[in-house]
Amino acid sequence: MLLQLLANGLVNGCLYAILAVGFGLIYNTTRTLHIAHGGVFTAGAYTCYLFLIVMGSPLWTAVSLTVLLSAMLGVGMELFVYAPLGRRHGSALVAFLSSLGLYVALINIIALLFDNDTKVLRPGIEKIFVFGPVILTSIQLIQLVVAFILLPSFVLFLRHTIWGKVIRAVRDNQTLASVLGINVAKVRIGIFALGSAMAGLAGMLKAFDVGMDPQVGMPALLAAAVALIVGGVGTFEGPVVGGFLLGFLQSLMVWKFSARWTDAVTFAVLILVLLFRPTGIAGRRPEETEA
Amino acid sequence: MRYLWHILVMINIYAALASSLNLTAGYTGLLSLCHAAFYGIGAYATTLLVMKVGLGFLPSLGVAMIFTAVLSLIIAIPSLRLRGDYFVLATLGFQIIVFSILYNWVGLTRGPFGIPGIPAPRVFGLEINNGFPYFLFSLALVLASLGAMWLLIASPFGRLLRAIRDDEIAAASLGKNVPRVKTMAFAIAAAFAAVPGGLFAAYVRYIDPTSFTLTEAIFVLSIVAIGGAGDFRGPIVGAVLLVALPEVLRFLHVSDSVAANLRQIIYGVVLILLMRFRSKGLMGDYGFE
Repeated sequence: MLLQLLANGLVNGCLYAILAVGFGLIYNTTRTLHIAHGGVFTAGAYTCYLFLIVMGSPLWTAVSLTVLLSAMLGVGMELFVYAPLGRRHGSALVAFLSSLGLYVALINIIALLFDNDTKVLRPGIEKIFVFGPVILTSIQLIQLVVAFILLPSFVLFLRHTIWGKVIRAVRDNQTLASVLGINVAKVRIGIFALGSAMAGLAGMLKAFDVGMDPQVGMPALLAAAVALIVGGVGTFEGPVVGGFLLGFLQSLMVWKFSARWTDAVTFAVLILVLLFRPTGIAGRRPEETEA
Repeated sequence: MRYLWHILVMINIYAALASSLNLTAGYTGLLSLCHAAFYGIGAYATTLLVMKVGLGFLPSLGVAMIFTAVLSLIIAIPSLRLRGDYFVLATLGFQIIVFSILYNWVGLTRGPFGIPGIPAPRVFGLEINNGFPYFLFSLALVLASLGAMWLLIASPFGRLLRAIRDDEIAAASLGKNVPRVKTMAFAIAAAFAAVPGGLFAAYVRYIDPTSFTLTEAIFVLSIVAIGGAGDFRGPIVGAVLLVALPEVLRFLHVSDSVAANLRQIIYGVVLILLMRFRSKGLMGDYGFE
């Protein structure tokens, strides 16, 4: 029982980690509290639904188009909403309010196009795999595999490639980076593309597992935000750690109390972490997130 | 005609709710995402006091205001030490926790089933029915609380709030106790959010937790941002606009389910456009700088 719950925690943790890494990438480098990231997550699920179920495309076409279109959606938000705000020297709160507007508009467009009911990406019962006391479905295994390939390669990419170095430079000091000849606007576009592709992918994986409705994005995004803060703002690895921790914690909650209080406990943890260790577990640069 | 009174009652309720948020978000510069929680606590507290304790509507509302203010301290005292995005996230967490309690504490709130059969308010032996009487009643209460807020903002305390918003360090260096003032502003805003809460419950005669979600908190914040934060007229203009304007869709014969989504799309887009071209909102003088 406990092992099964830990396995479920690991699977949920994968999704939180993927979403949180993208959210953290955007937050760390652009200082935008990008709530609409949750909208991209939802849009990813529905894009896959559109291609796979409505249009009947093959699986790989649907998956790659979903990732591609999610990236484009994120880039569109940067180009048409955040970048103009930056040019007008809008504060972080202005960007945050715009992000709320984006989120509300996006999920309601989705609800208008696809209705509010729950949709599934694959009918019937899934193939299951038994590992001793632990049972996982095939899609949960796929989630694990994707996360265990994607997350380490993402961290390696940021640490050891020239693009990673550029992104870290922009994170540390945007002004200095641009003085040294880095095109910050282009880097931001790249960051939004990368982060949003991951959000779309996470949304799609979640939808394959448990289906979707237009409201799925917000709880997932909130979990990712908690994962980012618990893991440590300012780092790119922190959200991975935070995501898995949160997944495990929520599983233990289900075991010890009841699934009904999961959200409340998650946010109680957030508030406690904010109070007692605002840098998170792996955090750095504590006081630089002022609005 | 009944329809018109309904819209006007809703405008009253949202004008009062957004104005109370304006005390923190607009005048003190504390952008909080838990105002729907205070609104909900006010609604539930008033309802439970009327139905379980048997108090009259107005005394219940008064007690609910105090109760909401006290509860707001739970989040205010710790999170006011945080700044910027962290403060926003902490209030967001509080919003989720309150919703979760309203939803799961079935013994007190009946959880997802909600509380039906809330009686119409009785004041001085008069029962106030929906329609025109309720419009007058809500108008009177809303004007009273707007008046109280106006006095507060015009007072030295109000000036202090704006000083803290514009330059916290300067205010502190003049010997002002910034954390205490912020906490007081937060509690006062919460108390004034309980008034529209009670009005809403007694008007709709039924409450359940889905009226007090994060989405609602975002909606109220949008009213303030669109109308103009830090301006007294701002939230009132915002409430008129965001409550009445979507009703146009009704006359275009858009079906109800589509209209619900369209309204939200409209207000999302309006929020984005205003933040881009006029971050002060329609009337405001504070642009979240």
